[in-house]
Amino acid sequence: MLDTIREIETPEGISLHLRAAGALPRAQAWTVDLFLRMGVFMLAAIPLSLFGVGGKGLALLLLFALMWAYSVVCEVWLGGQTLGKRALGLRVVNADGTPVTWLPSVVRNLLRVVDALPGVYGVGLISTLIDPHARRLGDIVAGTMVIHVSELPAGQQVPSQAALPLPVVLVADEQAALVEFAERSGQLTPQRQEELANLLTPLTGRNDSAAVRQLIGHANWLLGRP
Amino acid sequence: MKQERFVALHGREWDSLQSWLSALERQPKRTMRQEQALDFPVSYRRLCHHLALARGRGYSHEVTDRLQRIVQQGHRVMYRPPAPRWHRVASFLIAGFPRLVRAQWRCMAAAAVLFYMPALITLVLMQVRPELAHTVFSSVQLADVEKMYDPANTHLGRSSGTDMQMFGFYVMNNVSIAFRTFASGLFFGVGAIYVLGANGVLIGGVAGHLTAIGYGGPFWRFVVGHSALELSALVIAGGAGLQLGLTLLTPGRQRRGPALVAAGWVGAQLALGAFAMLLAAAFVEAYWSSIAALPDVLKFGSGALLWLLVLGWLWRGGRGTSHGA
Repeated sequence: MLDTIREIETPEGISLHLRAAGALPRAQAWTVDLFLRMGVFMLAAIPLSLFGVGGKGLALLLLFALMWAYSVVCEVWLGGQTLGKRALGLRVVNADGTPVTWLPSVVRNLLRVVDALPGVYGVGLISTLIDPHARRLGDIVAGTMVIHVSELPAGQQVPSQAALPLPVVLVADEQAALVEFAERSGQLTPQRQEELANLLTPLTGRNDSAAVRQLIGHANWLLGRP
Repeated sequence: MKQERFVALHGREWDSLQSWLSALERQPKRTMRQEQALDFPVSYRRLCHHLALARGRGYSHEVTDRLQRIVQQGHRVMYRPPAPRWHRVASFLIAGFPRLVRAQWRCMAAAAVLFYMPALITLVLMQVRPELAHTVFSSVQLADVEKMYDPANTHLGRSSGTDMQMFGFYVMNNVSIAFRTFASGLFFGVGAIYVLGANGVLIGGVAGHLTAIGYGGPFWRFVVGHSALELSALVIAGGAGLQLGLTLLTPGRQRRGPALVAAGWVGAQLALGAFAMLLAAAFVEAYWSSIAALPDVLKFGSGALLWLLVLGWLWRGGRGTSHGA
């Protein structure tokens, strides 16, 4: 397993795999959010300026909402994603992998002030580099983390072929290795496939492409195909 | 059981759950009203069971990855945050927040001392040695402040602008200060101590200077209305920051991580309460404090009443009820 994957056991007794998002995609998401908010503010400021000085007060209220409330409201109502995070495929989750709730979201967004401090997100950057789950200080205190939404790609299908019963009984690990070889054979060059298959010549009694075919046949048999 | 047979037996069930979950992402409200929503917890747990079986039996990635993806999607739906209940906001403001403030009374008392001590000392010093004003403030700042509280001014506490504009300004300015005070407490409390002290000197300095030069009347008439809410909120935000910093220094009988998370939750609730107080304060400041034509009795009477209400609320609020918030 890669070290950025965090495994969390759920109450159902299975484990979730959360892929922690590093500083770069998060900075990009933040930049998207920044430009979005600036755009909204400018668009709103034009009609508000018609109201004279009173409009200035409304503009300040809007600025306040965009500065402090935007992230919290988006994260809670849009399933842990501000619009920038949605664009970059990121998501904020609680430490147990559940969607982020009100208070943790408030904590992590208030403490953004600390993470943003020296220059542009100096503390936050250092914190994401040190922390194993790439959390900034606000995330650590809130008990949240930012993850990639897209799951890891599913395994490929074992090529269909006539099933060949195995001549000997293999233990579970060996069976799994055989099936995994068959699954991944599509991603390997024929030369590499043959090189790997030749390791099992004592089992198959064949060499090169014939050995590859036979192993895939065994894998088909292990999966229970006809 | 062989893998192919397992998939053949349950594959259709997985597909239907998968398609329901995808539909839920596109149209949450409509999909939730479907019949299938009632079966979701059962089918989700069955899916988890299947995943555990598939892993235990060593099935290939084709199956485990497929199940894992549906499980992750289902987990988000199963454990999504509950819809906000508005009465909880009310019960938090009436009972939960004062209770939380009292529970953290040591930090609140420390924050009050850190804020009021410098303020009082500066205020008194300005009476004894008025020239000190030029040490604390630049002459531009002094001129600004003097213009705002000039007894000849028809609007108290501002040189220009309407009520609406000032309301927006007060919210933006004061709430940002309060939030930053809380957040900067994470630096071992140093940030909160600095902000509290600096604001104490600033506010005491302005009050002292204006009183010393004889503009005290308009100044005190202006600030007395909203001072209760605004100063208390600042002290509470500072106390929340101190609490966070102290937890980082002395987590007590817990590891630092969990202790910080707990302190963060308390701090966020205190900051939210302070936000509500500052919102109310900004409203009073913009629409009530600025009226110059009211008699002194009304101004100072309402100010004293607000102080009594705020302190009484923080002192007694949420007592006697055993649940709520």
